[in-house]
Amino acid sequence: MAEPELLLDSNIRLWVVLPIVFITFLVGVIRHYVSILLQSDKKLTLEQVSDSQVLIRSRILRENGKYIPKQSFLMRKFYFNNQEDGFFKKTKRKVVPPSPMTDPSMLTDMMKGNVTNVLPMILIGGWINWTFSGFVTTKVPFPLTLRFKPMLQQGIELLSLDASWVSSASWYFLNVFGLRSMYSLILGQDNGADQSRIMQEQMSGAAMAMPADTNKAFKAEWEALELTDHHWALESVEEDLMSRELDFDGMFSKELPSGIF
Amino acid sequence: MASVSEMYDVGWEEMRDKLRKWREDNCRNSEQIVDVGEELIGEHSSKLGDDIWIIYEQVMIAALDCSRDDLALVSLAETFQGRWFVLENPRVSVETCLQELRKQFPDSHRVKRLSGMRLEALERYDEANKHYDTILQDDPTNTAARKRKISILKAQGKSAEAIRELNEYLEQFVGDQEAWHELSELYINEHDYGKAAFCLEELMMTNPHNHLYCEQYAEVKYTQGGLENLELSRKYFAQALRLNNRNMRALFGLYMSASHIAASPKVSAKVKKDNMKYAAWAATQINRAYKMAGRGTKENKCSVKAVEEMLESMQINIS
Repeated sequence: MAEPELLLDSNIRLWVVLPIVFITFLVGVIRHYVSILLQSDKKLTLEQVSDSQVLIRSRILRENGKYIPKQSFLMRKFYFNNQEDGFFKKTKRKVVPPSPMTDPSMLTDMMKGNVTNVLPMILIGGWINWTFSGFVTTKVPFPLTLRFKPMLQQGIELLSLDASWVSSASWYFLNVFGLRSMYSLILGQDNGADQSRIMQEQMSGAAMAMPADTNKAFKAEWEALELTDHHWALESVEEDLMSRELDFDGMFSKELPSGIF
Repeated sequence: MASVSEMYDVGWEEMRDKLRKWREDNCRNSEQIVDVGEELIGEHSSKLGDDIWIIYEQVMIAALDCSRDDLALVSLAETFQGRWFVLENPRVSVETCLQELRKQFPDSHRVKRLSGMRLEALERYDEANKHYDTILQDDPTNTAARKRKISILKAQGKSAEAIRELNEYLEQFVGDQEAWHELSELYINEHDYGKAAFCLEELMMTNPHNHLYCEQYAEVKYTQGGLENLELSRKYFAQALRLNNRNMRALFGLYMSASHIAASPKVSAKVKKDNMKYAAWAATQINRAYKMAGRGTKENKCSVKAVEEMLESMQINIS
């Protein structure tokens, strides 16, 4: 059942929609620069760097070990996994799980993250809600169920209004996420105003607070390496090679690139 | 002397893009970089914007490579200073400001490494070492400074110490492929082929599709000698060829290793037959390649005959 279309005052467009877009955008840009100012240098210790590289090397051994001779592969596997003094068996790192309470630098980092991102969003969202309240701002192009009404139509107490009509607060939140691509256009990739990326990082960061737990990582690598066998990729390389003539295409072209350009 | 832009009729954007391409590919064509970069800095510095700092670094390293100390100094001063500086009399006016500017911008490790490299170029190795030590005190994970210290040892000819230091470095930074390659080179110079082979194996694992590492490994194995190593070298020459059909060196290597095995008295008849087959195949391919190379030239017939004679002379006879 088609509803009669609401005709909104064009003043709304001029004085509400556009200002909110500008405000969101400017706040984002300011957030980016503030985050740059407040950035603290992450200092990695030598041990952490070294351990991460060792883990990478072991992984490469597992994946590409088939390109080196069997003897060399076994030698390296022995070095890592030997019962008495293999690297993964022998090395125990002192692991202090960096809980937010004990590690002061992480605490400040978290605080800074919160201050620069969550706080402004809440403040400005609230302010916009207070300033631009009491009227409908825009209509989302897809139909929504009635459940969305209290969320998206804050301040508009109309029972019969279609849930697609939303208030300015929801327009603000729409902008926050929508302007992400604008930010990457103007501020370059990896900018501090990228709200959703930060939230994603927070979520995945909780899942992989692992780098601190090198012992577990070592144990996992040890197991994986134990299971790996050596299937030499070069068993029949000559037969493969000689099955057809060599392709000398383009080797003897008359035109050699001369000079710089 | 005509400028680069006149000779090749290119604008400053193309020159800048070319420099960027060389930077990304890590090319060591220092003379070309100096020619293009000098003109870019001299004429178009204002148009480059923030790109200019990375170009300064690139040109400075290239200038040190070509012994253009005057240009290196100027680039260094610019990088420190952060302002365009008129080059009236480079050597004199820049020396003094370099001291002043060091005081003004003491914190950048990257620039410190550059001034250390300049000291190395002037052969003031002790000072350069002190320079790098200060960087390392501040930041023990700085790989660039450690690698420069090792190259100082290499420049001074202390290869045993260089090998030792490089080994220690690699114990901590196992993933540094540049360092593995350097170590393999040092071992080859010391004729320690077993250890060189180990380093090359690391490189082959991390870059399984790079035919050059396979070929180099095969050459090292061939030099080591012994039946097993010859077999390995033949296999890796074949692998290099499989990865890149046009690797002539690998083709010759295949021929040599196969004929060597075939000529050895200790092999079984089957192995001998197989290897002679491989050698014959390699010889045909070589002939084909030379024929293709000589297409259209008058000396073609002579060169083909020369190739056949060469192959015959390379045959290894049982002594």
